[in-house]
Amino acid sequence: MADLLVLHNDVQEIPQLADFIDSFATQHSIPPALSMSLNLALEEAVVNVMNYAYPAGTVGEVHLSAEAADGTATFVLTDSGTPFDPTATPPPDLTLGADDRPIGGLGIFLVGQIMDTVAYQRQDDKNILTMTKNIKQI
Amino acid sequence: MNTTIKEQNGELVATLEGRLDTAAAPQTEKDLAPLMAAAGKNVVLDCTKLEYISSSGLRIFLALLKAVKPAGGHVFIEGMSDDIRSVFAMTGFTQLFEFR
Repeated sequence: MADLLVLHNDVQEIPQLADFIDSFATQHSIPPALSMSLNLALEEAVVNVMNYAYPAGTVGEVHLSAEAADGTATFVLTDSGTPFDPTATPPPDLTLGADDRPIGGLGIFLVGQIMDTVAYQRQDDKNILTMTKNIKQI
Repeated sequence: MNTTIKEQNGELVATLEGRLDTAAAPQTEKDLAPLMAAAGKNVVLDCTKLEYISSSGLRIFLALLKAVKPAGGHVFIEGMSDDIRSVFAMTGFTQLFEFR
């Protein structure tokens, strides 16, 4: 049975995501460092949807489900907004110095750095982003 | 998220306490705005009590660096936890800042 979190496109609701991940981590004995990474990746993915999926001034929903089985956590992020494939975003150039580094463009990159797999699907007028992470204790 | 600024030994020291997530970032950016006009002074970001940072927080750190460096100042980061340091490493921010 997956846990489900429903948020609106308002970044002020982001602290609810932290509580959701905390409780998921406790349930599945995920250590604090990994839990923080998962929180970070999911915040970036969720904020991206909050900021860009729905036209400014309209209210939209962001659904996140979380499930753990056989040592793998699977997160599915769904919205009914504008089609957008975050996996097609080019990575930032991390070798640039401070003067040349653009402000921003790191969010989606962090999702890919932290998660083991990130897959995008457009289905039934929804954006569906499926992310997995190995949570087995070593 | 709590941010305080004080002047100490000729440096501007900002203490960041709590979770610097996307919800907290706009207020933190306002709170740190006085550092942008540091005019050649060094800025110290005391991250001993910083529990979490996301890209919206990294963005503030970079904007601060871009404001302080051309004026001849340095931005030093102090007391950052290993977990947050790993976020800096993933994004190439470790090379941009001076840690002490």
